[in-house]
Amino acid sequence: MNGLDTMAEQPTAAEAAARLGRLRRHRRRGFGAVCLVLLLAVLTALLVSLCTGDIALPVGDVWDTLLGGGDAGSRFVVVELRLPRALLALLVGFAFGLSGAVFQALLRNPLASPDVIGVSSGAAAAAVLASMVYGVSGIALSGTALVGALAAGAGVYLLAWRRGINGQRLVLIGVGVGTGLSSIVSYLMTRSEVTEAQSAFVWLAGSLNGRSWPQFWPLFGAVVVLAPLTLLGSRALPALQLGDGTAAGLGARVERDRLVLLGCATALAGVATAAAGPVGFVAFVSPPIARRLLPGHGAALLPAALTGSALVGLADLAGQHALPHTQLPVGLVTGVVGAPYLLWLLARANRVGQGG
Amino acid sequence: MTSSHTLQARQLSLGYGEREIVSRLDLALPPGRITVVVGPNACGKSTLLRALARLLPPLAGSVLLDGCDIHRTPTKEVAATLGVLPQSPVAPDAIVVADLVGRGRYPHQGWFRRWTRADDEAVAAAMLATDVLDLADRSVDELSGGQRQRVWIAMALAQETDVLLLDEPTTYLDISHQLDVLDLLTDLNRARGVTLALVLHDLNLACRYADHLIAMKAGRIVAEGPPGDIVTASLVHEVFGLRSAVIPDPASGTPMVVPLGRHHVTPPA
Repeated sequence: MNGLDTMAEQPTAAEAAARLGRLRRHRRRGFGAVCLVLLLAVLTALLVSLCTGDIALPVGDVWDTLLGGGDAGSRFVVVELRLPRALLALLVGFAFGLSGAVFQALLRNPLASPDVIGVSSGAAAAAVLASMVYGVSGIALSGTALVGALAAGAGVYLLAWRRGINGQRLVLIGVGVGTGLSSIVSYLMTRSEVTEAQSAFVWLAGSLNGRSWPQFWPLFGAVVVLAPLTLLGSRALPALQLGDGTAAGLGARVERDRLVLLGCATALAGVATAAAGPVGFVAFVSPPIARRLLPGHGAALLPAALTGSALVGLADLAGQHALPHTQLPVGLVTGVVGAPYLLWLLARANRVGQGG
Repeated sequence: MTSSHTLQARQLSLGYGEREIVSRLDLALPPGRITVVVGPNACGKSTLLRALARLLPPLAGSVLLDGCDIHRTPTKEVAATLGVLPQSPVAPDAIVVADLVGRGRYPHQGWFRRWTRADDEAVAAAMLATDVLDLADRSVDELSGGQRQRVWIAMALAQETDVLLLDEPTTYLDISHQLDVLDLLTDLNRARGVTLALVLHDLNLACRYADHLIAMKAGRIVAEGPPGDIVTASLVHEVFGLRSAVIPDPASGTPMVVPLGRHHVTPPA
């Protein structure tokens, strides 16, 4: 079967297959290269975090301490103070980046990110409620935040479900639910003591202050389970991205595959919020950055996760050391980066006339 | 070589919510042939195609693929035999043509998605057939409507199914691209015996390209059969409410419907 005959010479099937194979390998190399560069950025952020601070440590000392040597002082600063916080920043960024990438790919909407559609608000509301009314703290608080995220996600999903999920409707309903939950949080804070409200405010901005190994290990455990699960579930994404009809025609179990992915993405946002509070804009901004680095690669989940890591790592670094004698919460720095991007996105959508 | 897979509807009732659009319809797609469904707007032809493609669960009755209820068959198994190209398919932003066509291989790939030589060859064959190989590394967004539709058809072809359902594949194309697509589908049918079912708006192209024509109105099949046998002025009037004269197409000999409106019509002598 030769299709349309033209005057130009048609390549044979074998030649065409070889050409496509070359194209595919070229794209895979590009993907690998970008992931490598992002990983280097992440490791650089980690290393710089370990070296900088009130006690500046040279790279050599840090390296020795990590390998088990170094004096007690360095070991305390690096291993007890800086390392858990830096690793936590990277992990939080990874989880948020991955979560945002899944939401945006699945719902085909750049506005669809867990901090916009109510998932992070759900985690925040649950955490504030638990800590203020019931005095919950520590790992139980993290668990409460996770439950809040899943409950909010489930609520938005059920409200948006009508013979299937429409991305636009889910985003709108999510924004509504998120706003409602934020007002609950505001109300709770008006009913609390000033000091409680103040620490709640800091938490709500998304902060890594005072975070150490007790916050790190639960998040690590959760990400180690959720990230591979998400990447496995993303196997269905190439089909799901083509719309429900086409996806079903390609043999995807549309409702089930989508639910698995949304569940994983919601859980990732939930555990990350539990660890560091609702760090704004990371989930929102990382996927478009990753897509810009790798145009034509579709969802680009892993690059988005690594971008998130780099972003939060660098943001926390900036928040700690940019201004003298002041520690800015990491959520503030990511907001400074993310808010202009949101405005640009909205302005561009209006001008070009495309939706979202 | 003819496709041996059969797709039938038995006492099929379809609707959305309370509204019933198709009632107790019986249909059997002739295997290895090109079937075209025509009818006025809102007659249920797209709804019927969606039901045959397993995209719409029936209110009553069943759709049978090779004698088995299509809704009780695992979806991957169905997708290996039955391909569907819905109306106005959506592509994600910034995706290249080779990637989109490659997604047609989804039903053939295992759990861990190993890409094999067979996949490469199927995609290459599909892209050669639709003449989009030169566009392989271009972004789908940049293509013209006709090129984009050919890429979607390439994706459906890469799925390598024996039965292919297409919902209005030519609606947004200009006339030369409409003919390109229909000729391509005919090549596919003649060379590989693929069973095709299309919904078309253009009655004359439907008459020319269909082996089996189904005319629907208000959820019922009014007539079905080879176009030469069933297309008459009275059928056109019954289905479309249109006064017409039906003459043999000078190019193909199939029935050609000449519409008679209120203006620009010479009264018969």
